[in-house]
Amino acid sequence: MNGLLQQDLNQETFILNLGPQHPATHGVLRVKLEMDGEYIVKAEPVLGYIHRMHEKMGENRTWVKFLPNCGRMDYLSALSYNHGYVAAVERAAGIEVPERAEYLRVITVELNRISSHLLWFGAFVLDLGGFTPLLYAFDDREQILDLLESVTGSRLTYCYFRFGGVYNDIDDSFITGTRELIKRLRKRMPMYDALVTKNIILIKRLKDIGPISKDMARRYGATGPVARGSGINFDVRKDESYSVYPEFDFDVPVYEEGDSMARYMVRMDEIEQSMRIIEQALDKLPEGEIKPKKAVKLVKPEKGDYYYAVEAARGSFGVRLVSDGTNTAYRLKLRSPTYSNLSLFDEASRGMLLPDALALMGSLDLVIPEIDR
Amino acid sequence: MLLARIKEALDSLYDDIQETQEAPEAAEIETVAAEAAVEEPAAAAEEQEESKPEEAEEPATPPGPKETDYQAKGYHLDVELDPDKVVTAVEILNRENFFIESITGVDWIDDQQLEAVYDFNHFDELCRVVIRTRTDRNNPAIPTISHIYQGANWHERETHDFFGIKFTGHPNLEPLLLPEDADFHPLLKDFKA
Amino acid sequence: MGTQDIQPPIIHFANLDKILSLGRANSLWPMTFGLACCAIEMMATGAARFDLARFGAEVFRPSPRQCDVMIVAGTISKKMEPAVKTLYDQMPEPKWVIAMGNCAISGGPFAFEGQYGIVEGADKFLPVDIYIPGCPPRPEALIEGILELEEKVTGFRRWPRVEAK
Repeated sequence: MNGLLQQDLNQETFILNLGPQHPATHGVLRVKLEMDGEYIVKAEPVLGYIHRMHEKMGENRTWVKFLPNCGRMDYLSALSYNHGYVAAVERAAGIEVPERAEYLRVITVELNRISSHLLWFGAFVLDLGGFTPLLYAFDDREQILDLLESVTGSRLTYCYFRFGGVYNDIDDSFITGTRELIKRLRKRMPMYDALVTKNIILIKRLKDIGPISKDMARRYGATGPVARGSGINFDVRKDESYSVYPEFDFDVPVYEEGDSMARYMVRMDEIEQSMRIIEQALDKLPEGEIKPKKAVKLVKPEKGDYYYAVEAARGSFGVRLVSDGTNTAYRLKLRSPTYSNLSLFDEASRGMLLPDALALMGSLDLVIPEIDR
Repeated sequence: MLLARIKEALDSLYDDIQETQEAPEAAEIETVAAEAAVEEPAAAAEEQEESKPEEAEEPATPPGPKETDYQAKGYHLDVELDPDKVVTAVEILNRENFFIESITGVDWIDDQQLEAVYDFNHFDELCRVVIRTRTDRNNPAIPTISHIYQGANWHERETHDFFGIKFTGHPNLEPLLLPEDADFHPLLKDFKA
Repeated sequence: MGTQDIQPPIIHFANLDKILSLGRANSLWPMTFGLACCAIEMMATGAARFDLARFGAEVFRPSPRQCDVMIVAGTISKKMEPAVKTLYDQMPEPKWVIAMGNCAISGGPFAFEGQYGIVEGADKFLPVDIYIPGCPPRPEALIEGILELEEKVTGFRRWPRVEAK
């Protein structure tokens, strides 16, 4: 009896289900939130609602047949994932890539990075309640998609890279179109800056919300804009330079504060840096073959295990390849950056209000099929 | 340099093994460098963890962390350990501020073993360290590292989902990517849907 | 095949039915049910360039109680299937289902022998009205699918059909 009367009602928590179908969860993510009123006590993401067995397919499909899968993991920056897988197999099998193909790879990957960040920008501001930037961002993104469609043939889930190069060459209309696009984007980005970034509502929603410390990012393995927004200067393109990135001169934006505003600014600055890389690549584009000199008929990687990391739009995407010398992989592990980024959501969202937790989740830039693979 | 420091620190973990063995005999812990494994069929048989001494056709490499060719393989240091030494090795890496990249499981059905491969990298200086450990396929158990690196929590749950490796001491080893009531481990080589 | 038991209406109005179905067809409210890659093409269809609002379907509602059409865009995994069925059951009558993309039609590129995780097609447990193939289908294909659904609802097609030359 006494126990009942002495129960402190303030300590009761309830479970709120941020269900698999929700406009703000960017895919099918379910978060079991234990709430104390409006504050989050514990947040447990539940995954697996879009588990599409990519790693099992890596073992069943031959090396070439797995290429379409790469684009469907993180469909917004599908070319980076193409790049990671193709380069891992090239490292294992010792296939050389001609220089023009490397330049084409870099140009298309950076275009894809810009389109991914633009979509993130639109969707993030939509989560916070502003609908209009989404339409403008999609408009810019459509221009990029037109260019990429003229080269690769698809709008979203690209399958453009092949072992030893790319399969289609670019023509002059692509080059002039890309230069026009960069001119146009250079006019649009100050507009976004003035209307959205300097908007007092956005600043109040994002400043000092969702702090992630350097140590937290290190313990969870967060990479990409999430880590760069917390002051960690780590970019696979600079630190572990692959392809022809050493030839370009670009900066890596790093902000020290660690809150959602810092992660937002990192991505907006990255768009500008990507444009710089594309300009330099177009100026330096060499003539030559886009397929390897010796035609790669049968891909036979050597026995053993290999690792290759690239910088995708969301962080460091790694491919760990265990090969046994046959025409399928023995084990293909895909290290997805969003997986590690989301795992810190539980610790980072303790004690936050629910709308602030949604702002944090949006600033982590989640794409759920990449987590579930 | 970071690589040399880590190699020296991890080498101390092998001290007790080096004392109990003669040098030229096949090592209990040894390298899995690909180049050697491809040429020597005898070396392939040496990749088992039993400590029975074997006749080595070539001088066996002493146990310890192996430096690998980064351009060929993608990582710098390859460390193969017993499951019970993994936590100590990870603590050494944590003190040097490495971050965890991923944990992979591999099913070596011919050896009847399951392998867990830990990838670590460093933010300031590129140095990729790979820790491997093998355990018996029918009763796989590896101590957890999720109290040192919280990111390993999800990686270990996923490896348990796909392979059935039990990480002893893990706070909740429930299915992460498979349905909650799943009792199958899909990435095992003898899995039938 | 998914089935549902709906009692047909007892009283039929001839011209009122026509007007009601015309109204329903030209203001379909879709549910935001993007599961995977096709969701991005659905968002692009609602955005400024392809503009689904011209056909009355721009109001994407997250709540199933306010929608008439469920566009299943993306792969349905076995873990997600009960949630999809629950959402479908929560929608009020009359309701339609569009299966967008190869994954919703028949499992798409993820259906292989020995697969353990996905449902091969939305029509295994839902009554599907329109199938839109593609991986992902272009926004124009989704608009054509909406127009086909309008034709199914009203019985005639208001917009000209594009002929392949």
